[in-house]
Amino acid sequence: MNYLLPEYLFFIALAAGVTGITLLSGSPAGYLNFMLLLLLSGILAITRTWHDRGFYLVCSGEPLVVACSIMNLWAGLFTVCMLAGIIGGALGLLESRQDLGHFAFFCGSSALIALLIQVSNHVLLPLLILGSSAAFILAIQSVRTYQFQKHYTGA
Amino acid sequence: MLLRRCTQGLCLISLLLISCALILDDMAVLLAGSTLIMGIFGQYLIFDHRLREIVASVEIQRSLSRNPVRKGTMLQVASTITFRGSIRMHVQIADLLPSHTILIDGVSSVTTSPDPSSQTHQCSYRIIPVIHGTQQFSGISVTIRNLFFEDTIRLTRESDRKPVLSVQPSGLFTVPASELSDGTRDSRKTSVWKGADIHSLREYTAGDDLRHADWKISAKYDRIFIRKYSGLMSHPPLIIVDLPWNGVPYPEKEFYRMIPDVTGMVRHTLQTYQYVSVLIISGPNILHLIREEKNISRCIAELGEWMHPAERLVHFYRMPDRSDLRSNVRDIEHALRQTTDTRTLACYEILRDRYLGILQYQRVPAFSGQVERTLSQLLITEAYLFSLGCGDSSHIRHVVRQLQFQKIRVHIRIMDAALSGTSAIRDHPADIREVRS
Repeated sequence: MNYLLPEYLFFIALAAGVTGITLLSGSPAGYLNFMLLLLLSGILAITRTWHDRGFYLVCSGEPLVVACSIMNLWAGLFTVCMLAGIIGGALGLLESRQDLGHFAFFCGSSALIALLIQVSNHVLLPLLILGSSAAFILAIQSVRTYQFQKHYTGA
Repeated sequence: MLLRRCTQGLCLISLLLISCALILDDMAVLLAGSTLIMGIFGQYLIFDHRLREIVASVEIQRSLSRNPVRKGTMLQVASTITFRGSIRMHVQIADLLPSHTILIDGVSSVTTSPDPSSQTHQCSYRIIPVIHGTQQFSGISVTIRNLFFEDTIRLTRESDRKPVLSVQPSGLFTVPASELSDGTRDSRKTSVWKGADIHSLREYTAGDDLRHADWKISAKYDRIFIRKYSGLMSHPPLIIVDLPWNGVPYPEKEFYRMIPDVTGMVRHTLQTYQYVSVLIISGPNILHLIREEKNISRCIAELGEWMHPAERLVHFYRMPDRSDLRSNVRDIEHALRQTTDTRTLACYEILRDRYLGILQYQRVPAFSGQVERTLSQLLITEAYLFSLGCGDSSHIRHVVRQLQFQKIRVHIRIMDAALSGTSAIRDHPADIREVRS
């Protein structure tokens, strides 16, 4: 049985979603979405045997995320989730149930960020909230790392 | 923690996007940048969690070939490393050597592919301690990497540093000067003993002893060159194997025990001194000499070819050594002076006449001359003689006599049938009175 690889499943879903959203919105810059979709599909096909494939996929996928987000923020969220699925599938990060849990958590967190951005008028406020949250988590992580190293290395 | 090349690129893109979002005040770009940062952050947390799991499961058991050990001698270390892997995590574990030791050969690290099961790996290597004192192993270095991150943790807990290596100064092991023979051969192996010959020259590096600088060469090339001296090595012992005669029954069980003992000694000598000499005799017949052989497989093959009961063309028929006969005559003459009993005197006189009669007609056997000529080809200070000790063993005395003439210390190892089931080897001092006659 020749199953379709997960990255291609996610890509098909992304292509269908982007096409639908673009056609429904009737945006004059809709052709850009198709061009960026084409670019992503090309990169997905070309980089199958390349090292650092994730980097190339991100580079080609992020413009599509921005283009869709300009059209509609929730369309951008959809693109982010599908792009994460494509990258995860390409790098073998969606093999176990635990991996799928991590993917779902990423989608949920992205939705929260999108919600935060949606309710904000300017970039500064959500950026400050996201930055302070990241700094808080990093601080906790630093303490944990210190304790861990102290236990195992006696430092 | 190190970011791998791919992750560095992703971080750069996300920072670029966030900067653009801040400058342009564009929510769409912010969404792209912040979700990318969050993805990297999530991968970091997953990596950190798995790293902790792996590190917590790492255990190491080391075994040393000997402890305590002499400074400058080689030591075999075998390490068994156990840990539980994780998916998509490459693990490399290196056993960190004690400080002030040199790795001679072998592998002190293991690299594994991603596998979530419990894994056990073994590595074996040889080291030479260069400074005496008690030394602990430095611990374990665990390097873990996945697609995005890489981290190295050095585990230095007490359990990761066992066992304590006790390195004794060389002086405690040094043999007396009469037995050392000054080590006149050069060895290119690493050694704490410094010879007189210059092995090579190399450029000066920090920490080198300037007293070893070759100033002429340094002046010529306008750079400081350091002399590397060759080490010194003592002479290896000669291994003498006395094969039984195939004309009479011999203790097969003891003979088959003697073979691994001889090959073991040959291997040990080769490892320690780089070459070995083996003299194979059968009674008063010299069969073969393996002279200064350096190739272990060739030496073992030759031993395999010769190590079987052999035909004896010459027999001694328990012929005593002339020196022993003279010694016996002297003893009897001394006893004659002490005794007044006429019957005892008559007995001693008969015995003396017999000994003198044997001395008159008995010449020095050709075998003694052959042994003397064979020994003159070799530089040795010590010899091991392996024998079954069965039947006529008078030739052993002749071999020992020649070795003693040349001031070579002799160890006689008789494979004793009476001790079967316990230790197969009994060391005899090189006195014929204690070697079975």
